[in-house]
Amino acid sequence: MRYLVGYTADARGAEAIALASALGGAKAHLDIAIVLPEDTPFSAVYPGSDHGYSSIIANKVDEWAKKALALVPEGVSARVIARAVPSPAQGLITVAKETGAQVIVLGGRKRHMAGIFAPGSVASALLHSSPLPVALGTPGSVAALEKCGGKISRVTAFVGTGAGLKSVVEAAAASALTQGLPLRVVSLVSQTHGAEDPKALESWIDFSRTRVSQAVAELEIDAEVLIASGSNIDDAIAELSWKDGEVAVVGSSRLARKKRLFMGSTAQRMLRTLPVPLIVVPRNYKHYSVASQH
Amino acid sequence: MSRETPTRTSPAQTDSGLGEKGLSKGTVGVLGAVVIGVSCIAPAYTLTAALGPTVAEVGTQLPAIFIVGFLPMLLVALGYRELNNAMPDSGTSFTWATRAFGPWIGWMGGWGLIAATIIVLSNLAAVAVDFFFLLIAQLTGNAEIAALTKNLWINIPVTLIFIAAACWISYRGMQTTKAFQYGLVAFQLIVLAWFAIAAFSHVNNGTAFDPTPIKLDWFNPMAVESFSAFAAGVSLSIFIFWGWDVTLTMNEETKNPATVPGRAATLTILLIMAIYMFISLAVISYAGVGNTGLGAGNPDNQESIFAVLAGPIMGQFAILMSLAILSSSAASLQSTMVSPARTILAMGYYKALPDRFGKISPRFMSPSVATITAGAAAAAFYVITRLLSESALWDTIAALGLMICFYYGVTALGCVWYFRREAFDSVRGFLLKFLAPLVGGVILLVMFMSTARDSMSPDYGSGSNIAGLGMVFVLGMGVLLMGVGVMIYMRLRSPGFFKGETLKRMK
Repeated sequence: MRYLVGYTADARGAEAIALASALGGAKAHLDIAIVLPEDTPFSAVYPGSDHGYSSIIANKVDEWAKKALALVPEGVSARVIARAVPSPAQGLITVAKETGAQVIVLGGRKRHMAGIFAPGSVASALLHSSPLPVALGTPGSVAALEKCGGKISRVTAFVGTGAGLKSVVEAAAASALTQGLPLRVVSLVSQTHGAEDPKALESWIDFSRTRVSQAVAELEIDAEVLIASGSNIDDAIAELSWKDGEVAVVGSSRLARKKRLFMGSTAQRMLRTLPVPLIVVPRNYKHYSVASQH
Repeated sequence: MSRETPTRTSPAQTDSGLGEKGLSKGTVGVLGAVVIGVSCIAPAYTLTAALGPTVAEVGTQLPAIFIVGFLPMLLVALGYRELNNAMPDSGTSFTWATRAFGPWIGWMGGWGLIAATIIVLSNLAAVAVDFFFLLIAQLTGNAEIAALTKNLWINIPVTLIFIAAACWISYRGMQTTKAFQYGLVAFQLIVLAWFAIAAFSHVNNGTAFDPTPIKLDWFNPMAVESFSAFAAGVSLSIFIFWGWDVTLTMNEETKNPATVPGRAATLTILLIMAIYMFISLAVISYAGVGNTGLGAGNPDNQESIFAVLAGPIMGQFAILMSLAILSSSAASLQSTMVSPARTILAMGYYKALPDRFGKISPRFMSPSVATITAGAAAAAFYVITRLLSESALWDTIAALGLMICFYYGVTALGCVWYFRREAFDSVRGFLLKFLAPLVGGVILLVMFMSTARDSMSPDYGSGSNIAGLGMVFVLGMGVLLMGVGVMIYMRLRSPGFFKGETLKRMK
């Protein structure tokens, strides 16, 4: 099981390595990618051309590579790949395809003043174009992971009632199974579905529960099914309790082209508020198993 | 640029191939290289900034001075190319001069380059802001808006915003693309040609401001009144060719290093020379060098000649000129910001400046502290000049000419000294590694000294002065003396660089 870590030599990069190591466990291999902007003749620096910049940056990257490898826990194999690319997100996808990585892992951005997590520009671009699952940590969620020794404790799949339901459950189940972890399948219901009629809401919740339970049963998976409701998605998420070391799996939007990620509005909101690392799985993505055996 | 480090089991081999020249830069042919050369020169911007001050010095001999001014630039660039081939990865003035002459002169060479680029940044921003307001005035048909740029309370904050924006873009490591460069260059060339043709047709129709028949005498540099005026004119015209030599030093970026750089450099200079001749003849034919009204000799017009002449000459299409100058100066502002930042980074890296200047942002792979420093210095330089000088643009351009002569001259002599042992092995070596840079370097340093001496006069440049010393002298020498001060401070504080511990002099 190979993970591609999008690394920057700061707290964010350290989070990415911690998250990838936790997802992968002992048998994982991390390809730590440091992507640099590509120098084209059309970005010629004048006056004085390069100023020795490329040799200085090469030394710097070597330094960063050593530090990155030092962050990888004992027993996990890792190497560093440095690459100049036209765009960081596209470059990560290219490298992931070359190395045969199954997941691209990114660290989080520092929380904003308002306490809201927002993905950086690279994460945003990946979430809209990656053909592979993308795992995103946030500072808080990686800290929670570290509390239980950098190991995953439970997998939670977020599903809707539409077409993508089964594939997300399958992806999450595969991850949980290989590590022998408990699986929880959650569907969020916001009360806007039922407007002001409490009965309509009740019936919507029942409908969701039936659909999800049915899907779980059809897949012959052993999982806890939970319907969380609230006046909006944020409130519904707040209903959930989380274990340290838990990860969440969410499917990509129905707007996505097949086998490409497209972050839907619900997933965007979840990304901002979830206290756990989030793995976004492309629509119809088949060869998953986003976490491997410890 | 790609490399892998092996797995943790053998961590010893982390030395990468990144430092080697295996950078996957993509390559350009002759056309691409010409576009890059022209975009580095930014002719629309350089002409509006330098044409007026040069006319003030040399009058109708403007075309002659433009041609003569290219000669030292060519000679020095030939030496630059040899240095670039010999030490491709080690940078420019700072490292080259350090390796040739040792740390002290090397340090000042680097400082000269940083100072020149900081000064040009402040000038670029100012020109961009002038044309920004002019463009808005032309768009809205409200001429009063163009005058807002004369109000310091508006001008200074807006200029600082422009500098900050350029600084931010370059900190984020954003780069201009091929399509953008092609578009910008084509647009500039078309608008400049339009301007010249329109000016000549006014002359033909008898509607020109001061129709002045072209004389052969305009091409005779000997007809310039005094050596002082000649030197000042040449040091200004160095500025208008600044950027051309980038085509000459392109090697592995070209499809065929044996032919492309030479051809591109030749084509670029022919093209640029044609534009400069066409425009300078057009301006003088149309407006004359008289010092009233639209005359090119009128000090009120000389700060930014196109701002004044584009309207009468191009009519309602003058808006295109504003757009061309605004876009080219804004683009140059952004790309030029990278240069001092990288020199500061290199100086920080080799411990010629405090360590923190050697920091690289891990996210954007750009010299973070150095970029912000360069932006702040450009902003400070602009505010000081704007507050002290009656016509800041003019004085900054004159001071810039001084600074370019200084660091080009130092680097050219550095080239002579660096190659002193091998220079006499072949005729080619003798010409390119010895004679050309020696003559070019000496010319530039003579221009530097002559202009520096003349600029002490309070009448020099725009005529601003501080305690009887010319503003240009105060700015130029002030910046160089500040460099000496910082250098001595660094020598006392962290002597490593000066003892040759980080960057060795070639024996």
